[in-house]
Order: sequence, then structure tokens, then C-alpha cells
Amino acid sequence: MTTFRLLTATAVGALVTASAALAADCPIKIGGIAPLSAPGTVVGGEAMREAMLIAQEDINAAGGVLGCDIEVVIGDSEGLPEKGAALMEKFITQDGVVAVGGGYHSSVGVASKDVAQRLETPVVFAETWNDTITGDKQKYIFRIAPLSSWASATIWQFALTVPGVEKVAILTENTDYGIPASEETARGLESGGVESVTFSVDIGTQDYAGIVQRIKAENPDMIITLVTGEAAYNFTQQAADAGIGPLDLPFVTGQDALESGAYWENVPDGQYAFVQRIGVPETEFTDKGREFAAKYKERMNKSDVESYAMEAYDSIAIIAQAIEEAGSTEADAIVTALEGIEHNGTLGKIYFPYGTGKDPSADGKGDEWWHQWPDPALTMIQYQEEGQDSTGAAIVYPDAYKTADPVFVNQ
Amino acid sequence: MEFPLLFWGVLAWMIFWAVAGAILIKRRYLAQDLDTSNASFIGAMSGAALGPVGLAAVWARTPKSSGYLTTALGLLTVLIVAVTFSFADPDNICVTSGGFVASQFVNGLIIGIIYGFMALGLSLIFSILGVVSFAHGEFYMIGGMVVYFVTAVFLPGINPLMGVLAACATAFAIGAIFERLMLTPMYHGKIDRPIEYGILATFGLAFTLQYFVQALVGANPVKAQRFIEFPRWRFPAEADPIWIKTSRGSMTLFEQVTISSPRFTAALTCILVLLALLYLLHRTWTGKALRAVSQDREAAAIAGIKPDTMNMLAFALGGMIAALAGALLVQAFSWLPQVGAIPAMRSFVIVVLGGLGSLPGAFLGGIMVGMVEAAGTGCVPDPQKAASYIPAYGMIVLTLTLLLRPTGMFGRRFASGAHGQF
Amino acid sequence: MTKQIPNIAGVIVLLFLAAFPLVYGAADYDYIMHIMITAFFYAILAASWSMLSGYAGQFSFGHMGFMAIGAYTTGLLCHYIYLSPEPTGLCTETPFFGQWLVVVNPIGVTSTTLTQDCLRQAMDAWGGRVEVTRMPVPLGILMGTIMGAIAGFLVGMLVLRLRAAYLALFTLGFSEILKATISAEIDITRGQAGLELPPLYPDGVTLFGTYFEPTDKLPPYYTMLALLLACLGILAWLAHSRFGLFVRALREDQDAAAALGVNTTRYKVLVFTITCAMAAAAGAVQGHYVQIITPNLLFLLQMSLVVAMAVIGGIENFVAAAIGAIILQVLLELLRNSFVIGGIEVDMTIWRLVFFGLLLMITLRFFRNGLIAPLIAYFGRVGVAEETVAKRASTLTGPGGGPHRTEAPD
Repeated sequence: MTTFRLLTATAVGALVTASAALAADCPIKIGGIAPLSAPGTVVGGEAMREAMLIAQEDINAAGGVLGCDIEVVIGDSEGLPEKGAALMEKFITQDGVVAVGGGYHSSVGVASKDVAQRLETPVVFAETWNDTITGDKQKYIFRIAPLSSWASATIWQFALTVPGVEKVAILTENTDYGIPASEETARGLESGGVESVTFSVDIGTQDYAGIVQRIKAENPDMIITLVTGEAAYNFTQQAADAGIGPLDLPFVTGQDALESGAYWENVPDGQYAFVQRIGVPETEFTDKGREFAAKYKERMNKSDVESYAMEAYDSIAIIAQAIEEAGSTEADAIVTALEGIEHNGTLGKIYFPYGTGKDPSADGKGDEWWHQWPDPALTMIQYQEEGQDSTGAAIVYPDAYKTADPVFVNQ
Repeated sequence: MEFPLLFWGVLAWMIFWAVAGAILIKRRYLAQDLDTSNASFIGAMSGAALGPVGLAAVWARTPKSSGYLTTALGLLTVLIVAVTFSFADPDNICVTSGGFVASQFVNGLIIGIIYGFMALGLSLIFSILGVVSFAHGEFYMIGGMVVYFVTAVFLPGINPLMGVLAACATAFAIGAIFERLMLTPMYHGKIDRPIEYGILATFGLAFTLQYFVQALVGANPVKAQRFIEFPRWRFPAEADPIWIKTSRGSMTLFEQVTISSPRFTAALTCILVLLALLYLLHRTWTGKALRAVSQDREAAAIAGIKPDTMNMLAFALGGMIAALAGALLVQAFSWLPQVGAIPAMRSFVIVVLGGLGSLPGAFLGGIMVGMVEAAGTGCVPDPQKAASYIPAYGMIVLTLTLLLRPTGMFGRRFASGAHGQF
Repeated sequence: MTKQIPNIAGVIVLLFLAAFPLVYGAADYDYIMHIMITAFFYAILAASWSMLSGYAGQFSFGHMGFMAIGAYTTGLLCHYIYLSPEPTGLCTETPFFGQWLVVVNPIGVTSTTLTQDCLRQAMDAWGGRVEVTRMPVPLGILMGTIMGAIAGFLVGMLVLRLRAAYLALFTLGFSEILKATISAEIDITRGQAGLELPPLYPDGVTLFGTYFEPTDKLPPYYTMLALLLACLGILAWLAHSRFGLFVRALREDQDAAAALGVNTTRYKVLVFTITCAMAAAAGAVQGHYVQIITPNLLFLLQMSLVVAMAVIGGIENFVAAAIGAIILQVLLELLRNSFVIGGIEVDMTIWRLVFFGLLLMITLRFFRNGLIAPLIAYFGRVGVAEETVAKRASTLTGPGGGPHRTEAPD
């Protein structure tokens, strides 16, 4: 994608109003966090930025909110917690946003949520998985991404259904996403009587040849990759070169494989890889989901819509609906509206069952259920054909969404 | 690790005597009015390998530093560490599995050849201009990017060789233009501290190039197709184990060691180009002129060689070598604008280890660094830590070399004194 | 009179900076204050780096490493050391002046709040009966500064023999090893997840009868400004003393300086120790201000920023470097807004860095003393910069001139 993008009407708005902050109540401003430069995951950030801008267009085309247009102010978190906190401060004090959506890196979410809480501005996080983000039970913090522990659970529960697996090798990145996820996965596997060994790598690693040999020497029956960005592509292809790739044994690759165009270019031997996916299959998309997917693919020139793009879209759309229902841009009113909301988003019906009205402990749930959407669909898909789109790939787990039986290459 | 105390104890003992040796022997040589440039290294190695006994012997004899002595002491030290490790951790896969060691060895060798080749460019630039180019990683990145865009975006289906050539041409042009525009003032004493100026100027180039490419092409990881797909082949067909077995993307030796096609072609090309480069440097007038300038600018100028032209040629050639390494590896790694940082760091390590300005040193240094990283990744017992520390292994080699023997393996002092005075 | 222009301008700038937080009242107050505090932080780094690399000629790429040592020292101490009136019975602890010094066990990074360290468990058991105190922030900053000085001293000792390119590579290696270690020892440092620090003033602070919350920007603003001024004061004092003379001699010709009886070892180590302590102090204060630190502090880009700021300001004049850093940091932050030329939107998130790199190269090529330093020099004739210029002019023609002195004339 190019950075030179054709001028949109909204971008002019962004430019004009950035200087005249708070001058008028219209348009209503909503912040959008996305990592747009290194060391952040820029690919994810650019996808989320586009999704949030599409959300803005859609909402304005439908008449806006409270008679105003909305304007999504995109900010670059750089994937750094301290920048994320500063960005949140900028959104609220400089740009005068009434609420914030988006968010990719967990560490950025953890650092910036405290700023938002202090400055009393509602946030709906899109793709930050760390459990503590909602686990701290802050009044202004909401999340529609799955919890890290749920996401790990899908992977290890799936691994336990794979026949003949006695030992699993886990490759993880040494970050706040990778380390807890690998610990939870290892614990889950152990509970099912499956042995596991974890290798952790620095996120910038390119050459996995040495580590692949070590994994190979462990003689695992299955490999699980908990690495983000291009690192997952590098590892998967290099493992395939060494004869322990997706074509040789059950192989769960990183989430970035959902961008199937880039995946097939970077991992030509990636057939039969399993990938975790958030959201229901495209065949079960809501009308809104289908509409967004079409627009997004055309705009980004991509073959798929990634789940984090859909989450980013929904995070803006749900805020817009909450403002409309609250009838004001006042923070507490938005929180009240969000707690009672039923939003038909691209991911399905979004609602927040626990919050100030009902504590999670009332239902015996943990603190992390606070302001958390309970039903993000977590599925495992498998690329059963070479060059397949991720939205068209077979869903193999869980049974509720299953569209095909998994193919186990070593059987 | 089964007996960590044994390993760390021996290591502590070695480090203690190495430090003592580095200091004491240097004093001794100084007091005896002998050449001290290698004294720290000899002292440290004899202390580490032979403890107080070795130190006493060196102290008494103050042997003249020869290549044999330093190499023997260095090898002995490495051997002792390896033996101690195998006793301390008898179950480690590096100790128990010969096949594993062989595959790590081959991995280290292959990636070492490629990075050694890349570092050669850095060394070439240094030997002529006296500048450590901080833009080396960016040339590497551009090499890969050009190959990708030529073979996959602009002219899909074209022979990858054309992409590689385009990459070389682009890097050569960028290098030549940059040298003309930015580095010319530093040759004629117009600049107070030319070496620092050169570092800063190349640093600025690196910064600009990296973000320029990112602004133009975005941040999606890209990768070129494999240049060559192996035919299916077994040799000998009946043997057990089969010596060579190939599949589309990789080749397996003795059913133990797997080499992927991109790495194989990259390493092979590097060796071929290296031979061509040696021919250029030793058999052609231009090459001889280049070497002459690196040895003595003044004498070369008197002999009718234009040092300025050679400066431009060396910088452009050095950048081109890095770009070629990138152009060959873009079929093995996913490519991003930031991809140059790691190989650039590795190149620094290699040239320092080999000796700044030494071409054979760069190549041998590359192989050694490849081995060290393979050993570190393969043998560090804790799997959680082994790979996390990959970036540090090379840097440890770098700092140790600089402390013990800043001239590296094949370093030399430069006649014109323009090269950081070592 | 023109001679006094830099001084008058300096006083005006100082008064402006001192009064700024009191008079500025727009809605984006917090954001602008944050930019200013970060700008001061970079100014300290650029000024101390220019002292080390420009003035004393010890070209170091490890400055952010020392900064990180400062930040992580105070961060780890505040994170793991507590004073408790009662023994916990769970943690490693020793009696300490009638109290117990508790070292909390590292629990690493978890995604849930369920796992707790030994002190939290003990406190749960006490049920709010016992108050524990964490390490005071000023003590942490002091320890961070001292650790930075020690590290600077050790590195200075190690690099005695290294010059120019070798020194640059060694310090770069040091910084990279530090980064890899902090990233890999995730149990202790929390790696990429970031180590959380208490705010600079954990209980808030009362200035002139006004109470400020721990999260208010005004107290850290003045703290960082004061630290910047203190560092500049120390550097100025050093530059005008014998120390300044000797370290400049070190840069011009180390061997000649040694031959003339300058204890080059001592001054080289000293200049490392002092400038690294400054970087560490800046890192420690900044760490407490942003309240979270990650190994990405050591990302090479951060070091490039400091280098570029110092070069554009004026690498041999630390005041110019500091001013350059403040201006550039503010510019970089404000240039984030995209703009439109001829119907094409230019995404400034990345392009601003391209322009920044170009500015760096142009400055290097055509304005070798930077953009700020010549201004000061032009009016001042008292600054350090043109003393150096004069020196350079004389050394170029005289014996022992530029390093390429043996090159053939053309």
C-alpha cells in the first residue's frame, strides 16, 4: 500500500480542525490508537487506521451522531507504552476527543488505560489482549478483543484434540503478548497430559535456522507459534525448509497469517498451517460485516479482512452508537450508554454484561470480565489449499463453527 | 545444566586469570620494552587456558608474539570451555547429538559466509576511506527491496538474475552519488575530524534511506520467490544414510543436515562473487590501484592514481556488496525497511573481529561469528533464553575483541593514520 | 553590546521557560507540557553527548545505554525493595534499623492479575494492618545516577586505547548487549511489557501553597528544567576550567596532549563518568515521569535522534546542542499532522523522519558547526565554538593538522 493516499474529504477536516481544537462541538472527535511506525507492528496499525477511517465514513454517510459528523483522529503509538500514554494524553487534552477506540499492542493498552481513566475519557480497546486491561475494573475502560487467556485456551484445547500429540514445541516472542500466552498454553497442554517445551526469541529475529534445529531435535508432534509480525512468517518458512513446517506436522502459525496475500508471498510452503482467527466465518458474517469486508478489501487492495481491522471498525462504531444513545458527549453518559449497549457490529452483537451495574463476581466470574464483550468467536482455521484466502479457509475448531475436518499432515 | 557450579566455577577461574594476565603481562612487556600490541591478548589467553602456570611461563619467557602462539592459546581456551561445558551439562543436545552439532555447524558456516561477504564491503570502504559506514544495513535492505520490486511487482516472471543486477546497479549508483555529494570534503583536511564526520554522514544516509523506503513502500513484509528450485534427487540412490537428498526447497545431507535452497544459492553466489572480487583486486589495474590507495595514499597519488576516484569506487563497491547480500537473502527472509539493522550490527562485529580494513579477515570473521551465534543458539541450555540473546552473542565477541586485540585477527596499522589510529 | 546578545537572549529564553507553565492555559496544556518535558530530557542527553563526543572527541554510540542504566536502576529498586515494619515470612528479607528490608520476588509478566508476588500475598494476609513503604524516589534517582557514573567510569577505563571508529563500535556493542539483556531477562525487567515506576512525586507536592497531584505536569516540568540547567551549569563550569582545556586537547591530538604532560587517562575517564552520570540522571527522572520504561529506550533510533539533535544544534557547543534538541523535539512532535500537496496526502508520521534525516545530512555538509552554535558564536565571540574554530584554523595550516595530513596535496 502506498502512503500517498488520495485525499478524502475527511482528511481535510482532520487538518483544519486539528489546529482549531475544541472550537466547536461539531464534528465530534473520537481518537483512534494504532501503531504506525517501528518498533510497533506497522502492518496491523495501517490496517486498523484504514478500518477506523472507513467507520468514520460509514457513520457520517448515515447521518453522523447527534446531528454532527464524527471525526476519527488517528494517533501513532509506535508500539511503545510510554508513547501510548503520551498519545492518550494528546488525544484528550490537545485534540479534545470524547472517546477513544483502536489499540493494538497490549503494553500500550496497559499504559494508556490509566491515563484515560485519570482524564475520565471512555476507551473501547480493539485488539489489546492482556487480561489486566479489563482486570483492573476501571470505569472508563471497555474491550471487545478476546482475553489473552481465552485466546490461549482456544489454541491448547485445539491442540489436545489433535490425534497422536504427545509433545508440543512452542515458539514465543519475549513480549507481554508472547510470554503469558506461552505460559497459559503450556499449562493448558499439561492439564491434558501433553508435554511442551517453550523457545522464546527476540522480536527482531530474522534467522531462525539455529532455533529450528533445536526444535527439530526435540522431536515435537506439533508446533505452536505465538509470534507476531514478519517474525512468524520467517519462522514458519524456515521451519518448512528444515522439514518441520506445516506440510510435515500440525503447525499453528502466527495470527498475521490471516493477511493471506502476505502470508502466501512470505511462506510459500505454508499449506495446511493452522491459524487462530477472531470472529465468525465470512459465510456467517452479519450484513454489516460483509459490507465492511468488501469496502476494506477494495480500499486496501487486500484479499482478506483481518480480525483486528473488524475490531477496530467496531470499536469506533460502538462508541458512535453510545454517544447517540447517551444523547451527549459527556463521558459518564457515554459509559452508562456503553454498559447498556447492544451494538450490531461486524463481529456480531456486542454488549458488556458486567460493569458498574453488575460486578463480575456476582456471577462468579473473574475481574477480567469487567466491561468485556463475552462472545468474541475464537476459531482455528486451516489453509487446506495453497493460495487460499483466510476468510475462505476451512474452520476446523471449535465444533460450533466447524466447516471442515482438519487435515493432519502426519497422519 | 546438571552441574552449573562446575561450569561457572571454571569460567570464573578462567576470567580471573585472563584479566590478571591481560594486565600483568602487558606491564611486563612494557617494562621489557617489547611490542605490547599483542601482550594483553597473549596474557589473557594464557591466563584463561593455563591459569597461573601459563602466566608464570609467559612472564618468565616473554615470548615474541607470533601467529602460532596466539592461535594455539586461543584455540586451547575455546577447547577448555567446550570440554568443561560437556562435563557440566552431559545431557545437552550439543554434547549428545553429533547430527545436531553438524547441522548447527553447517547453519553457522552458511550464514557466516553470507554475512562475511557483506562485511567485506564494509571492510573495503574502511580500508580506502577510513570510514565505518553506518549505512551498510540500508544498502542491504535496498538490495532486497529492488529484487522484490523487479521480480515480483514490476516485471513478474523475469529471471531473478536481472533483479540481482538491478539491485547492484541501484546500490552502486546511490553509493557513488552519496560519496560525491557528502564525503568529498573530508579528504582534504577541510574537516576537523574526518572519521567522525564520515560516521555521522553515513548515519544520516542510513536514517534517511530507511524512512524514505518505509514512506514509499509501507511496512508490509515482502519476500521474493526462491531463485532456484532443486530437482528431486537422491545420491547414492541405495545408500543408508543417503548422502544427498533434495526436495523442492531444500537439500538434506546424510539425513541430518538440512540446507534450504535460498541459503545454498546465496552462499554459493557469495563465494563466486568473492572470487571475482579477488580477481578484480589482484589482477586488474583498478584493483591494484584500490589496494595501493589503501596502503599508502601518498605513494599511490605519486604513481598516478587518483585517490578521489578510488574513494568513490570503494564506497560504491562496498555498498554494492551489501546490496548483493541483501538481494540474495530476500528469497530467504521476509523483507521490511528495518531489516538492515541486524546484519549491519553483525557486519560491525565481523570487521572488528577480522581486523578493520582486512578483506580475508572479514571473510574468516564472518564464518567465526556465524559459528559463535550457532553455538550460542544451539547450546545454551535454557530454551527460553538461548534465542533471546542472539543479538548479544556477536556483540560480546565485538567488545572482547576490542578490549583484547583491537586490530582483530588480521588488522594492520594504516600508513596514513587516517583510520582511527589503530 | 552585540556581544551581550546571546546572554540577553539566554535570559529571555530562561524566563520564558520558567514562566511558561504558569501563563499557558490552553486546553492542550498537559500535552504541550509533556512535549516540553520530553524536550528537556533530550536536551540533557544531547548536551552531555556533545560534551563527550563533540567537545572531548570521545565519539560514543552508547549514550542511551547509560540513560537506560539510570532509568532501570531506579525502576528496579523501586519495584523490588520495600521497607516493612513486620517480617513477611515469604520474601527474602533482612532487619534494617528496626524495620525489615524486603526484596520482592520477581513474578515476570503475566496476563492475569491473579498471580501475586510475595509481598502482595503477605499484605493480603495482614489485611491492611501493616503499611509498607517503597524506596523513596529521590534516593532511586540518586542511585541511578551513581550507577550511571560507575558504568561510565568502567567503560571509560575499558576504552582508553580505543579511538574514533573503534570507540563508536565498542559503545554501540555495549548498548546492544544491554538491550538484549533487558529484553531477555523478562522475569526481572518485564522486558517489552515495560517496567512500571512510581510517579516522580508519589504523594503529590505542594508548591507556593498550591497542591499538585502526582500526575500533574508542573512539578516534573520544573524538575526536568532544573536538571537541565544544573547539567548545563556543570558543563559550562567544566568547559571553562582546566578540565575543559585538557579534554579539548584530548580531542585535538591525544598523543600530543599526553606528551605535554596532560594526564589523558584521567581526563578521558572523568569526562566519561560525568557525562554518563548526567545521561543516567536524565533517564531516571524521565523514567519516573513517564512511569514506564521498556528496552526500546535503547532502540538505535533513539540514539540517532540524540546524535542528530546535537549535530543540528552544534556538536561542539553543548548549549547549542541543548537548544537544538528542544527545538527539534517540539518540531518532530508538531510535524506529526499530515498535510496535503496537490491533492496527495503526505503521511507525516514517516515523512517527518525522512526530512529530519535530510536536515541532518545538509547540516553536516554545509553547516559543520550546526545551525544554532554559529548564531551564538556570531553575536557572542565569547562562546566556546569559535575558540575551536580559531584553533582549527591554526592547526590546519600548522604542524599536526588534520588527520589526513600525510595525504598528497592536490
